[in-house]
Amino acid sequence: MKHKLRLMTLAFASLPSLAAAADLGIDATSLIRLEERSVPGFKDENVVPATQFLGVDLDKLGDGNLSFHLHGWGRVDLAHRSTDEGTTDGDLSYAYLAYRFPKADGLIRLGRFYVYEGIAAEQLDGVSVRGDLAKGFTASLFGGAPVRLDITDRNKGDYVVGGRVGFRVPGILEIGASALREGNTDTGQTADLKNYRQLVGGDIWLAPFRMIEVRGHSSYNTATDGFAEHSYLVLFQPLKDLSISAEYNDYRLKDYFASTNLRSLFNPDKGETLRSYGGSVTYVIAKPVEVSADYKRINYHGDSHGNTHRYGGEVRLTLADRKVRAGVSYHRADSSRADVNSYHEVRGWGLYDATAYFASLDAIAHFYRQSIDTRSHDYEFVGSAGYRILPNLALSGDIAYGRNPRLDSELRGVVRLTWNFTSTSKGAAK
Amino acid sequence: MRRIKLLSLCAAFVGAMALTACTHVISQETSLPSSHPEALGEGRVDCSECHEDKIKGVLKPYASFSHTPVFVKNHRFYAGEDGRLCGVCHKPSFCTDCHANELEIKPSIRYGNRPDRELVHRGDYLTRHRIDGKIDPTSCFKCHGRTNNEQCVACHR
Ligand code: HEC
Ligand code: HEC
Ligand code: HEC
Ligand code: HEC
Ligand code: HEC
Repeated sequence: MKHKLRLMTLAFASLPSLAAAADLGIDATSLIRLEERSVPGFKDENVVPATQFLGVDLDKLGDGNLSFHLHGWGRVDLAHRSTDEGTTDGDLSYAYLAYRFPKADGLIRLGRFYVYEGIAAEQLDGVSVRGDLAKGFTASLFGGAPVRLDITDRNKGDYVVGGRVGFRVPGILEIGASALREGNTDTGQTADLKNYRQLVGGDIWLAPFRMIEVRGHSSYNTATDGFAEHSYLVLFQPLKDLSISAEYNDYRLKDYFASTNLRSLFNPDKGETLRSYGGSVTYVIAKPVEVSADYKRINYHGDSHGNTHRYGGEVRLTLADRKVRAGVSYHRADSSRADVNSYHEVRGWGLYDATAYFASLDAIAHFYRQSIDTRSHDYEFVGSAGYRILPNLALSGDIAYGRNPRLDSELRGVVRLTWNFTSTSKGAAK
Repeated sequence: MRRIKLLSLCAAFVGAMALTACTHVISQETSLPSSHPEALGEGRVDCSECHEDKIKGVLKPYASFSHTPVFVKNHRFYAGEDGRLCGVCHKPSFCTDCHANELEIKPSIRYGNRPDRELVHRGDYLTRHRIDGKIDPTSCFKCHGRTNNEQCVACHR
């Protein structure tokens, strides 16, 4: 926490010096939640956490290609404690300088940021570089210190490095190879664990014909010597308004969960494989009406949790230049094992966004095969209404009411103030 | 010490890149704009409403990035190859609303006014997660189990 505060102060202190003659953007969201938690057998308790989200973007610094981006949040409890942590908490999700080259999509980042490159999805304090090369090649590289969790340092290393190279044939193919190494991870009590995390992988995009696309990736864990994941998706679009997809996923838990810091939940030691496959169909009946159906079969090879079918469907309406949006859906999770529960989910929602006012309603319910703590179902209603005081300043409030196996009743109010400021009128705000 | 070594390694890479920039190793294509020239409102985007053909630099058809239900559910494949394209329209904070190292508010509560979005964990998830977590823990591991665990350890050790 202290460390984070220091980082935040440092980041803010450096703003004015950078800001000279730049474009400034600020996104601020203040959220106050008011919750009445009524647990059977306990006195009702009120919690009132106030959370502030803040994003700052400074563009066109220096020669015009340099920019600075920051985002974080902080929370104070105004009544009872809302979590098991202290009455305040916060996190700096990113703060980095970026230099964009006018050619080849070159980008250098320095600071705290996220990288998504092939099989890597990391948050780190460090440097990243990417660019397109001649003849269809691309390259990227990143390195630094992985961002640790507040609660535990376990299984986060001292450094993480990685990168990806890609090769593209315009409109037909992209293949990529990526690798990642996190070193000096703390293995805790479990002495037989490797003290590093190392993955190599490949990804593909292939569009052999106009109507067909294949996407996917595989990753191999070289620390545990086994494939961690194979995930592939095939898209087929025979008509403009009809699209069909099929997916296949294969995870070896020994290799996929190897780097977890919650071994009790994400247990790599059972030597299991989880395979799933399924598909979906989406049909746009008429411009405002979209219907979709999906199915997925999930199989454990190993016997802890058995097999499951998940399926469902959704109808979505989009009317009046997207001012009115609505949907209904049904989903089912049907497990073949008696000791894993199953449920039905039904949901209906709608929203209306006039220029000054906006409002929405959402209702969701679940029906369980086996009652949980004597209740066989739960439901929640959320109603929301808001007003745009200025085009970039909006105030909204939600009221949610629900009953569920944990709580006799759950009543929640949310007050939300959002402010998006930009000092420039050029280009579209993100 | 290690970090310093690493940093100097990266610095060397950057230097090398700058040096070779003038040669023909680097693509001569102009970069994507830093933001999308036309403001797009809320709700899912169909790129083919306004675009045809291929995206420069990305070398894939615009239509392939239309935000269909399948795109939204499988955006991880798209992000892994063309993250810089996402950055044309999305600030990283758009992604960290759902992908965080540490967060306390469920996306569905933070955006209680956006029932149209595909936000994780609507309704009473503390109950339902016991079922989903058993059915397929690999789907959770993309966001929990290595990161964003603070709320979990209250009940799971
Ligand atoms: C409402 C119309 C509209 C929609 C929908 C739209 N765009 Fe655009 N886009 C524009 C306009 C206008 C421009 C600027 C003119 C141009 O470059 O074509 C632009 C430019 C771009 C550029 C920069 C092109 C260049 O060569 O500099 C990219 C990249 C882009 N759009 C991607 C997308 C993607 C991906 C989608 C779908 C997720 C999308 N757009 C949806 C209107 C739209
Ligand atoms: C041309 C602009 C554009 C580009 C490029 C773009 N998006 Fe989006 N995306 C949008 C808009 C607009 C929305 C709707 C936001 C809203 O409803 O508030 C959206 C929504 C989303 C959502 C949330 C959907 C939901 O229902 O909650 C995800 C996830 C997403 N985009 C991922 C990506 C990824 C990954 C990429 C890069 C491969 C990408 N987008 C590229 C414009 C774009
Ligand atoms: C509305 C919530 C939401 C938003 C916003 C969102 N994602 Fe995701 N993302 C998910 C979900 C859910 C998954 C897991 C999907 C699965 O199980 O296949 C995921 C998975 C991923 C993964 C795979 C991670 C891994 O470890 O395998 C990547 C990479 C990713 N998203 C990138 C992005 C990027 C980049 C953006 C912003 C442009 C973004 N996401 C925005 C919900 C979101
Ligand atoms: C796209 C990322 C993402 C995925 C995938 C994901 N979660 Fe979450 N989850 C979050 C975020 C963000 C929160 C809210 C912050 C918090 O409380 O940690 C959250 C909160 C939770 C909570 C606390 C809910 C509450 O009401 O306080 C539970 C329990 C949970 N997740 C379990 C799971 C399980 C089980 C899975 C897999 C079936 C899963 N999550 C998949 C992002 C994700
Ligand atoms: C309020 C207490 C509570 C919190 C907080 C909580 N869980 Fe759970 N979780 C449970 C209970 C109870 C079970 C059911 C255990 C059983 O049936 O053996 C469970 C089961 C699970 C399972 C299935 C485990 C198995 O048996 O295979 C997963 C995965 C899981 N939780 C993930 C999470 C994640 C991730 C978070 C944090 C984002 C979280 N949980 C937060 C109470 C909680």
